[in-house]
Amino acid sequence: MNSLRPRVIPCLQVAAGELVKTRRFKDPLYLGDPINAVKIFNDLDCDELIVVDIRATLDGREPDYALIEEFASEAFMPLAYGGGINSVEQVRRILSIGIEKVVISTAAADGELISAAAAVFGSQSIVVSVDVRKTLLGRREVWTRSGTRNTGIEPRAYAAQMERYGAGELFVQSIDLEGARTGYDISLMKDISAAVKIPVIACGGAGSLEDINLLLQSGSIAAAAAGTMFVLHGKHKAPLISYPRAAEIAALRIPAKEAVI
Amino acid sequence: MAEVSIVNYGIGNTGSICNMFRKLRIEAEVVSSPISLSKAKRLILPGIGAFDACMRALDSSGLRDPVLEYASTQRPMLGICVGMQMLTLDSEEGTMPGLGLIHAHTRRFPDGAGLRIPHMGWNTVEWSPTDHPLAKELANDSRFYFVHSFRVICESAENSLAVCTYGGEFSAAIVSGNIAGVQFHPEKSHRFGLRLLGNFASS
Repeated sequence: MNSLRPRVIPCLQVAAGELVKTRRFKDPLYLGDPINAVKIFNDLDCDELIVVDIRATLDGREPDYALIEEFASEAFMPLAYGGGINSVEQVRRILSIGIEKVVISTAAADGELISAAAAVFGSQSIVVSVDVRKTLLGRREVWTRSGTRNTGIEPRAYAAQMERYGAGELFVQSIDLEGARTGYDISLMKDISAAVKIPVIACGGAGSLEDINLLLQSGSIAAAAAGTMFVLHGKHKAPLISYPRAAEIAALRIPAKEAVI
Repeated sequence: MAEVSIVNYGIGNTGSICNMFRKLRIEAEVVSSPISLSKAKRLILPGIGAFDACMRALDSSGLRDPVLEYASTQRPMLGICVGMQMLTLDSEEGTMPGLGLIHAHTRRFPDGAGLRIPHMGWNTVEWSPTDHPLAKELANDSRFYFVHSFRVICESAENSLAVCTYGGEFSAAIVSGNIAGVQFHPEKSHRFGLRLLGNFASS
């Protein structure tokens, strides 16, 4: 068998040490204690977890190592951390705490950090976040700094460049669909996945297991990530942590013909 | 005195292995000197990244001979990920010889359509024999988190303790007397990994 079952990954956002959830990268809704959320996802046997500090770069802050250490002590699954990372030394410190992967966005753009970090720690530890927004004319562009700076670069070219720099995975977010719960931007994810050999983690727009299934049936996506779907419940957006049961995830399969990991 | 000692030769995720033993309430320590290593009750050899880089780091840390001496004492030893590959004779990833503690080779995955490398994600394994102390209560329905670009093939089936399938079968766990290795990351594999490390600590 050449296909692994795809990974289903909750993506948590933190700001100033609190668990939040944005919509279209704006209007953070306060949800509670992020350490407790990590603990619950661990108890639910989730495949993997991504935690992103959405304020660190904007506020010019270092990663919050004390908080990261608390996450690591509660997460017995692969955990990726992003937010405010701009040096190899920071990557070293975060990985040595017991975090599996770092997510780099703003500091990825010039490639130096990605190449240096991949050379020291291996590509498997380096995830590059590719945040995509559509212009009014429908052109797609990659944004950094939590969606506040437009690089003007087309996502497929950006993704391929990040792979050449040494990224081991791409965390692709559609900003326009974040929090919408109307389904993934499948064509964006397919386009980017076709431009690279490394795994693509798709994020933005998932509202149900069916949305995840539709994404994975498209055939080339290694992992489905979601925020809102796993931390909010119902139309009134009550904070409630949920995760599919093992049997539901086992039923998700990438079509064998175009199997990826 | 610590129940488990984790070799620190500069490469490897000692932090998350320690976290898991803390969760298990089993005393674990990180050892960096030949003397503390020689006193270990049980030893874990971690490893991530490139095979040669790990072998070189073990050499330059001065811990290669202490590890080999430890292995000859019949006390339990567990290699994790590249730490398991280091127990084998050699690796197609590099030119350095392995520690040669288990008659196995570290090989490329076969070239084949659709097989993406690294093998990254959760996969099931088949234990055989199922009554090995490391496999206790793991025989049914256990899954583990893998991240690796090379795989271990045993010369003799009796050294293969668990197999996994990805572009063909490979050894997910190997064993030879007191020496064992696992290709997956027990420290990242939830209750299945907790169980395995707990099994190791009571072996």
